[in-house]
Amino acid sequence: MPDVVANGLKFHTQHVTHGDPDPARPQVVMLHGLVIDNLSSWYYTIANPMAMVADVHLFDLRGHGRSEMPKTGYTVDDNVDDLVALLDLWGIDGPVHLFGNSFGGVVSLAFAHRYPERVASLFLIEAHFAVEGWGEHMAGSLALAAFGLDEDAVQAWLAENADRKLSRLAKRSERFLMETSLIDDLQAEQPIGWLDEIICPTYAMYGSESDILDRARELEAKVPGCELEIVPDCSHSLLTEQAGLVRERALAWIERVGSA
Amino acid sequence: MADVVTQEAVLAELEAILLDVIGDDLLLDGPLTMATSFDQDLQLESIEFVALSERLLETYGDQVDFVGWLAEMELDEIIALTVGQLVDFVVAQANGEAAPADA
Repeated sequence: MPDVVANGLKFHTQHVTHGDPDPARPQVVMLHGLVIDNLSSWYYTIANPMAMVADVHLFDLRGHGRSEMPKTGYTVDDNVDDLVALLDLWGIDGPVHLFGNSFGGVVSLAFAHRYPERVASLFLIEAHFAVEGWGEHMAGSLALAAFGLDEDAVQAWLAENADRKLSRLAKRSERFLMETSLIDDLQAEQPIGWLDEIICPTYAMYGSESDILDRARELEAKVPGCELEIVPDCSHSLLTEQAGLVRERALAWIERVGSA
Repeated sequence: MADVVTQEAVLAELEAILLDVIGDDLLLDGPLTMATSFDQDLQLESIEFVALSERLLETYGDQVDFVGWLAEMELDEIIALTVGQLVDFVVAQANGEAAPADA
């Protein structure tokens, strides 16, 4: 059953297991990044290898992929509420291993802060959380994309030159950015002041060329016991640029903390 | 009893699933062939490929180890997959594993 209703919205989910689902194995939930991302970035990289040793749960965050796109409700807390509702729906009340990429990383962190008893570990890739000046940064990158996509010239170029995939993704992204409260909600996020209250084992990976490398240092400094790995010559798109390496680290991580 | 799963049957099934998953937007000039690639030819979005995989799992899941197959692939190998690779895999596994189970 890929489509479920949780927290009042329709979500596209995928339960990836090797053989029958097995509650005795580590339960892993993977959360993807913003706007042009969806659960397929996990499906293509880590979900299937991970499913050889764990039960893997994927879903498209609200507004993304094949999930419903409400007009409002895109704060980090809204996404945490979605995750709670989905876990309840899936009947998972024991601690889960959360994998978060970019924006999925901040949702994972916030979930671990609000529900420490429900999180066994965090595996974060390029976690993108609010720091001082976050609002301006989001306004800069996201709103620019929104306005850029709205220009007739860009639309015409896309229609003529881009392939089917790109133009569909661009249209969907434009709708997401222009017709929902996403940008306003994200700009309103306040810097996180509770990183030192995270109590689960945490592994964080960032690319050396990432534009948010300051988050890496902040995680390492504040999250107790956080293990940080900076991957040379990689950007914010670490998951797809170094899928093999990330997969290796993810599998080793679950082997270490999976029985906890 | 398990019938022998043929290439033609799997190809037809795959085409039906593609039409169902993507609908009228499917880029298909002529019939689906073994050489058709999901990314270059059909320009399938990655999220559509996930939906396709799920439907194949529903159809052949108890005979075919999709998760194990995809688990062995690198990202660029999944992106470059052709219809033929997928069909051959399903045919080989379905026939290889259906026989003993039916004995």
